[in-house]
Amino acid sequence: MKVSVVSRSGKDVVKGGLELSDSATVADLQEAIHQRTKKFYPSRQRLTFPLKPGSKEKPVVLNYKKSLKDYCDGNHLTVVFKDLGTQVSYRTLFFFEYLGPLLLYPIFYYFPVYQFFGYKGERVIHPVQTYALYYWCFHYFKRIMETFFVHRFSHATSPLSNVFRNCAYYWTFGSYIAYYVNHPLYTPVNDLQMKIGFGFGVLCQICNFYCHILLRNLRSPDGNGGYQIPRGFLFNIVTCANYTTEIYQWLGFNIATQTVAGYIFLLVAIIIMTNWALAKHRRLKKLFDGKDGRPKYPRRWVILPPFL
Amino acid sequence: MAGFLSLLRRIYLSVYNWTVFVGWFQVLYLAVKTVRESGHQHVYSAVERPLQLAQTAAILEIFHSLVGLVRSPVSATLPQIASRLYLTWFILWSFPQTQTHILVTSLVISWSITEIIRYSFFGLKEALGFAPSWLLWLRYSTFLLLYPTGITSEVGLIYVALPFIKESEKYCIRMPNKWNFSFDFFYAAILALGIYVPGSPHMYGYMLGQRKKALSKSKKE
Repeated sequence: MKVSVVSRSGKDVVKGGLELSDSATVADLQEAIHQRTKKFYPSRQRLTFPLKPGSKEKPVVLNYKKSLKDYCDGNHLTVVFKDLGTQVSYRTLFFFEYLGPLLLYPIFYYFPVYQFFGYKGERVIHPVQTYALYYWCFHYFKRIMETFFVHRFSHATSPLSNVFRNCAYYWTFGSYIAYYVNHPLYTPVNDLQMKIGFGFGVLCQICNFYCHILLRNLRSPDGNGGYQIPRGFLFNIVTCANYTTEIYQWLGFNIATQTVAGYIFLLVAIIIMTNWALAKHRRLKKLFDGKDGRPKYPRRWVILPPFL
Repeated sequence: MAGFLSLLRRIYLSVYNWTVFVGWFQVLYLAVKTVRESGHQHVYSAVERPLQLAQTAAILEIFHSLVGLVRSPVSATLPQIASRLYLTWFILWSFPQTQTHILVTSLVISWSITEIIRYSFFGLKEALGFAPSWLLWLRYSTFLLLYPTGITSEVGLIYVALPFIKESEKYCIRMPNKWNFSFDFFYAAILALGIYVPGSPHMYGYMLGQRKKALSKSKKE
């Protein structure tokens, strides 16, 4: 089968096209493109079915597992190529964005950094500041462990630019919060409030971990679960229970440590996760519409009962 | 009903744009008159009221964007209005020692010429349904000079204000306090200066792109 590979502007990406066997898969096609173009390794390629000009539909992305025959009846297939830019594996991305908070926060606790901000003299460390250190570091250690041992990613890679963007977000906020919680002039809340905050936070982190296990089991090891309706535990009432528990565990941390910086971080995190949750909820409702034997997506909260 | 609402929108936006136009016209008139008659040190006190009114009224434009009354996206209007309000209230009004500086003159002249063109452009569009091509040309060409002069004035005035900001400790929140929060207006001003470094080429580049689109589109028509 002859395959023409064109750019979105119509130019030939692979001059003269490629010749592949009729039983070839999309993965084979990607490998062949890589062979000819050298710099475009498969995870950088986005191959779509050409759309009729003026069509408002979203282009169909070719699935690397499918056979070329699934997309083309005859013996000539045209695919549209888009370069996604330099890619890094999701594991690499997550590892570095979480490593920052894990290492930067203890620096503010253990080292005399506040002298550089003009605060001389002895620093008294309150118990809540020590517990906050353990809580914070455990949280990011948990995230790194989940990245390597729990999460099954739908896409193997992410664009390199996301490394800079995500690390800037996590590392800046991590330092900003660490600065205030470990400050020599930090004012602790009362004991009961601290215990409620950390206790609630730990409980939510445990629930969050369980949510991640449930999500992992929706996908098979070779990463081909597609989309499934999440079920069990809190997923029965809220689509993105993992985000819900994550938000509440940060709330617990903030109740215990009471800093404006921490609450700003919580607010931004809520905005970001709510955007993701709305997209996921919509996607699942659209996919599971109850037609053609597909189950209908049940009525559920999106992310934060009783608000959304 | 839809026709009535659309008419109401047009009337409201016409009134808004022409009212603010008059405000900025006043600013330009008073600024030029004062510089010629009394000198640049007196420009601020002459223009203070109309400047504050016309610039603060622009907050309404964020609202217009949010509810879809106008086409411009909030993301484009917000940074512009933020820097304008920062200069007007948090530098000039808050730190009187900056008010006699010559950069105030270049600032208000750059701003007022730009706004006069902009508000009359929108004012005509809403009231008459079209704007003359020479006004379109002005709107997308004067920025080539006025952005650099305006930005230089803004950056310069923030810089001039720095020692007074540091000394006065105005708008600062110190620790300890029960919310474990601090804010240093001096360092925030340094940060604001820092934002101008990538922000200015970004805005200028954006306007260049808009110019290309607007002027080629009008050529085709």
